Amino acid sequence: MSRVEVDRERCASTGGCEAAAPEVFEVGDDGVLVVLRPEPDDRDLPDVRTAVATCPTRALTLHE
Amino acid sequence: MSLHSPAAPLGAVDLDAVDLSDRDFWLEPPAVRSAVYDALRRQRPFAFFEAPAMNGLPPGPGYWAVTRHADVEAISSQPAVFCSGAGATSTLDLPADMNEFFGSMISMDDPRHAKIRRIVAKAFTPRVLERLVGSVQQIADDVADEARRTAEAADGTIDVVTDLAAPIPLRVICDMMGIGPDDRALVLQESTVILSGGDSELIEDEGDVVTRFLQAGATLSELMNRLAAERLETPRDDLTTALVTTEVDGERLTHQEIASFFILLCVAGNETTRNAISHGVLALSEHPEQRERWAADPGLTRTAVEEIVRWASPVTWMRRTATRDGEVNGHRFREGDMFLLFYGAANRDPEVFADPEAFDLARDPNPHLGFGAHGPHFCLGAHLARREIGVAFRTIFDRLPDLEVSGEPVRLRSSFVNGIKHLPARLPGVR
Repeated sequence: MSRVEVDRERCASTGGCEAAAPEVFEVGDDGVLVVLRPEPDDRDLPDVRTAVATCPTRALTLHE
Repeated sequence: MSLHSPAAPLGAVDLDAVDLSDRDFWLEPPAVRSAVYDALRRQRPFAFFEAPAMNGLPPGPGYWAVTRHADVEAISSQPAVFCSGAGATSTLDLPADMNEFFGSMISMDDPRHAKIRRIVAKAFTPRVLERLVGSVQQIADDVADEARRTAEAADGTIDVVTDLAAPIPLRVICDMMGIGPDDRALVLQESTVILSGGDSELIEDEGDVVTRFLQAGATLSELMNRLAAERLETPRDDLTTALVTTEVDGERLTHQEIASFFILLCVAGNETTRNAISHGVLALSEHPEQRERWAADPGLTRTAVEEIVRWASPVTWMRRTATRDGEVNGHRFREGDMFLLFYGAANRDPEVFADPEAFDLARDPNPHLGFGAHGPHFCLGAHLARREIGVAFRTIFDRLPDLEVSGEPVRLRSSFVNGIKHLPARLPGVR
């Protein structure tokens, strides 16, 4: 099972992950990132990998 | 299709004769700037410059100009070692409250920076902006139609900057903030003054620069006071309401924090996107084969927008200040050392970009640093800017397909903003 981890110290809620994988990430109304699917399934994985690779604050890790 | 620009018509650059603090340097044509950036990256990747003098204020201690992509990344991604709180937008060592007044969260460090940023973060996310697409398109359509009417009423010419590139982001950010049409002209004028770098077209008397900056800040603060009072009475779904009603650590922002944030959003929301659009129009006119390709293929928009941001690099630099002694990529530094991260130089680093002087709308990947490098200060408005730029150019192709640049750009005399003040163009379809 894959799992997404957010480094809350680094995350600046830029919405980069939301652009790459909207099914998995959403910046909440309070500006704090919400991981909608902390354990993304196989169909989400390509987008999640993009989100991890392009995060402007390098706050995301995907444990596969 | 040619992806190759003509080689820069320059011999060897004498770096001892180069002064990045001299604002006249920033009026030089792009080929000169590129040649200097090249020489700096190769010969002096950490080059020391004396800080420019500014009337009435003591100059700072000088700065290290950082021009390689890898070095800008290394510094930007270590915010604990290279802080923003000593000031990110000036080479002066200003008192902290002055920095915050004009820089707001740009000149803050975490955790305060992150908390303040979260107040507005949601409004700039892809999901929320998706709801705004229609209104951005409407604004672009209106502006394009007005530009044509302007040309028709005169001699068939327009100024790309004042008639196209400025009004689109101005109306978008004012709508987001809840600033009405009557106040738009004021917002544009004062934000332009704040980022004028003292350019004499915008501030006539060199001796008045500091006074005029402070006046512009005060004028925008007054506008904010008026809107804040209205929003406290009657909250709306806009950014100004969020600023005056959101609590951070159980407290509302102070009056000054709200004013600074308001000024930041006005200034940053206007100046950067305006210059990206202006530089883009100029670049497309210099590379007609790229323009034809994009006009024919809307699918090119994603990469085209990134290339325009790389090409324009609207913010020339941001500053970081060392919080301790250390070493970065072989360069030893001392606590208090000031670094200016030259994004435009990093964005033409041949170590990262194949054929960096080529304007290639299909460039992919394009790891440019036009929105800043990796780190907590990555541009808040990046998704909005991308959308505005994409819509602006598709609208130009649709509604102003006859737009032709007809003269030289007039550049802003500023080291901080890569600005174009005027860009004459024709709409020959009019005649």
